[in-house]
Amino acid sequence: MNILKFLVSVIFLIYCFSSDLKAKNLEIEITKNLRCLICQGQSVYDSDSEFANSLKILVEKKLNEGLNEKQIYIYLKDKYGDWILYDPGFSKNTYFLWLLPILMFIFGGAIILRKVILKKKNYELS
Amino acid sequence: MSSLIGYYSLIFGVGVSILVIFFSIKNFNDTQKLDTKVISLVFLQLLFVIISFSGLILSFVNSDFSNETVFNHSHTTKPLFYKISGTWGNHEGSLLLWLLVLTLFIFVFLLRSKNQPKQYKILTLLFQQIIIVGFFIFLIQTSNPFNHVFPVPKEGLGLNPILQDPALAIHPPILYLGYVGTSIIFSSALAAVCSNNITKIWASHIKKWVLVSWIFLTLGILLGSIWAYYELGWGGFWFWDPVENVSLMPWFALTTLLHCVLVLEKKLILTSWVVVLSIATFTLSMCGTFLVRSGILNSVHTFANDPERGLYILIFLFILIFLSFFIFLIFHKSENNNSKTFYLLSKETSILVNNWFMMYFLSVVLIGTIYPIFLEVISSQKISVGPPFFNKLILPFLIPFMLAMAIGPKLKWIKSDIEDKIYLISFFVISLILSVLIIRNLDINFLYNSILITAAFYLFFITLRDFFLRKYRNLSQITAHFSFSILILSILFNNIFSSEVITNLKINETYQSQNLKINFESIEQENKQNFKAIRGKFIVEDQNGLIEVMQPELRIYNQPNIVTSEADIKTNIFTDKFMTMNYVQNQDHFNIRYQVKPFMIWIWISTILLCLSGCLSLIRKKYEN
Repeated sequence: MNILKFLVSVIFLIYCFSSDLKAKNLEIEITKNLRCLICQGQSVYDSDSEFANSLKILVEKKLNEGLNEKQIYIYLKDKYGDWILYDPGFSKNTYFLWLLPILMFIFGGAIILRKVILKKKNYELS
Repeated sequence: MSSLIGYYSLIFGVGVSILVIFFSIKNFNDTQKLDTKVISLVFLQLLFVIISFSGLILSFVNSDFSNETVFNHSHTTKPLFYKISGTWGNHEGSLLLWLLVLTLFIFVFLLRSKNQPKQYKILTLLFQQIIIVGFFIFLIQTSNPFNHVFPVPKEGLGLNPILQDPALAIHPPILYLGYVGTSIIFSSALAAVCSNNITKIWASHIKKWVLVSWIFLTLGILLGSIWAYYELGWGGFWFWDPVENVSLMPWFALTTLLHCVLVLEKKLILTSWVVVLSIATFTLSMCGTFLVRSGILNSVHTFANDPERGLYILIFLFILIFLSFFIFLIFHKSENNNSKTFYLLSKETSILVNNWFMMYFLSVVLIGTIYPIFLEVISSQKISVGPPFFNKLILPFLIPFMLAMAIGPKLKWIKSDIEDKIYLISFFVISLILSVLIIRNLDINFLYNSILITAAFYLFFITLRDFFLRKYRNLSQITAHFSFSILILSILFNNIFSSEVITNLKINETYQSQNLKINFESIEQENKQNFKAIRGKFIVEDQNGLIEVMQPELRIYNQPNIVTSEADIKTNIFTDKFMTMNYVQNQDHFNIRYQVKPFMIWIWISTILLCLSGCLSLIRKKYEN
C-alpha cells in the first residue's frame, strides 16, 4: 500500500506543478518542419544562416497575414519544392514510403498469429 | 618514418591473413585441438594492426605533414588530445580503427571460447578473416592512411572545429566497438550454421557478444547525441538525421537479437530467425559505414565524400550478403517443429511481440532513410523525410509496445495466467489519471498525448514495483525496461514542456517578458591555444526571482577559419537551462537563444542505466531463475 500512497502524493505534486504552462509557439513549430536549403541536415529553426533567418521572417509575415499552418506549407512547397518540407506528406511519390512499414507490421503480426494459432491447434490435436 | 612503418605493417597484416587462412584450413580436419599456431598468427596480425594504428597516431602527435591524412586533418596548434582523436576523426583513420577492432575481437573471441567445438571456432575465424581481408584491401587500395605528400607542407589544414570536443573524440571508437562487435556475431552465426552447432550452449556463448556490442552501440549513440545537444547549438539531441538513423538500425536489430537469443538459450526454437538477425545486424552496421562514407547522404555528418570508396564497400557488402544467404540456404536445417508449442500468453509469444515491434521500428527507420535516395535515383524528385514522418509512424506504436513491455516479462515461460490483476489494473488507472492531469492544460492533442504518457507511466510503475518486490528475479531485464520507460517519459516531457526565447540583444540591453528577464551584461575576449573565445555574460531572472548567470561562447578557430557557438548549459535534476549566442551580420547585436528544457539529464541517465542493465546481464552467471 506504500506504493499507492507514494503515487497519490506524486499525483498531487504534479497537479500543483502543471497549472501554469503556456501554449506552443506556432512559428517555431512550422520552422522546425522546414529544411534549411543551404545547410547540411539542419532545419530552418535550428539554423542561423541568412536563408533560414529570411524564412523565419517570411513565416512570421505569412502568419500575420492570417494563413494557417497548412497554407504556409503549400505556399513554401510551391516556391521551393518538396525538398523543403520535412514532412513528406501523402502523395503518389510517397505511397510506398508510408505504406511499406505499415504493411511490414501487418505482415509480421500475421506471421506471429499464425504461429500461435497453428501451434495451439497442433497441440490440441496431439 | 612512423608512416612508413604503419604502411608496411598493413602489408604484413594481409600476409598474415593468408597464413591464418591456410593454417586454419589445414587444421580443420587433422586434429581434435585448435592449433596454437593459428592463435599466435591471429595475435601477430593484431600486433601488426596495432603497430600500424600506433604509427598513424604517432604521425598525428608529431604533426608529420608528409602524411596526407595528417596534413588534411591536423594542425600544429591543435591540443594534443585532439591531435590523437583526429586519428579516427577522418575516413582513413576511422577505417583503420575498424580493422583494429575487427582483429582485436577475433583474438579475444578465440581466447574466450575455449570450450566451443574446434570446427566451429575455425569457421568463425575464417569468416572473420574474409571481412578482415576485405577491410585490408579497402584500406590499402582506396583509402590508404599513409599516403605521402611531397613537398612536405609546413602546416596542416586542421580538424573541423565542431569535431574538437571530448564527447566526439571518444564517440567513434565506442560506436565502432558496437558496430564491429556485430561482425563476430555474424561470423559465429554462419559458422554455427555450417557446423550445425546451433545449440543452447551456442546461444549463451554468443549472447555475451550480443550484449557487449549492444552496450557499446548504445553508449556510442548516447555520446553522439550528447555531442549534438551541446555542440550543434540548437538544443536538440535527436533529429532523425540519416547518419543518426544509420546507427539506430543495427541497434534495433541487436535489441531484437538479444531478446531472441534469450529464448534460444532456454528452448531450441527460432533458430533460423536468430541466424537471419545475426546476418542482418552486421549487414546494417556495414550499410551504416557505406552510407556515411560514400557521401550518399546529405547530412551534417558527411565529412568524407568519395564515390569510389562507396562503390567498393557496396560491392563488398553485396558479396557478404550473397555469401551469407547462400550458406544459410545450403546448410541450415530448420528445427523440428512438432514438439514445441506456443501459447498466446507465454514468454515466447511476448518475445515474438517484441521482435514484431522492433522489426517494425527498424523498417520505418530503414525505409525512411533510403526511400528518398531511391526516389531521387528513379524519378529525380527530391523529397525530405524528417522528424514528422518518424514521429507519426513510431510514436503511436510505442503505446502497445510499452504496454507489452510492462506485461510481457511477467508471463512465465510456457503458459501462465496473469497474476495479481488488481495491481495491473490499478496501476493503469493511476497512470491514466496522472497523464490526464499533466496534459489537461496544454495546447496539444489531448487524447493522443495522454494515452502515450499513460503507457509510459504504466511501464514505469510496473517495473518500479517489480524492482522493489523482487518477485521476478531478473534484475537486468527489470532495469532495462525501467530505464526505457524513463527514457521515453523524459523525451516526451522534454518535448512537451520545453520553452524558449529567441531575441537580438546589444550589450547592456534587457529582454523582458511576462515570466523572464534576460540582461546582457558584458562581453569578454580570451585567446586560447587554437581559437579566440568571445564570451557573453547574461543575467537571467525567471518569474520566481531565481537568478542564473549564463555565459555562452563564440569560438573563432584560426585553422580552419570557422566560428562555432558553444552553448552554456546549467543542468540540474529537473531541468536544463541552455543558452547560445550568435553574430548578427553587420550589427552590434547578438542573436540570443535561451531554452528551458525539463528532464534533459534524465534522457542521458536513463540511457546509461540501460547500458548498466546490459552489464548486469553480462556479469550474471545464470540468467533467469
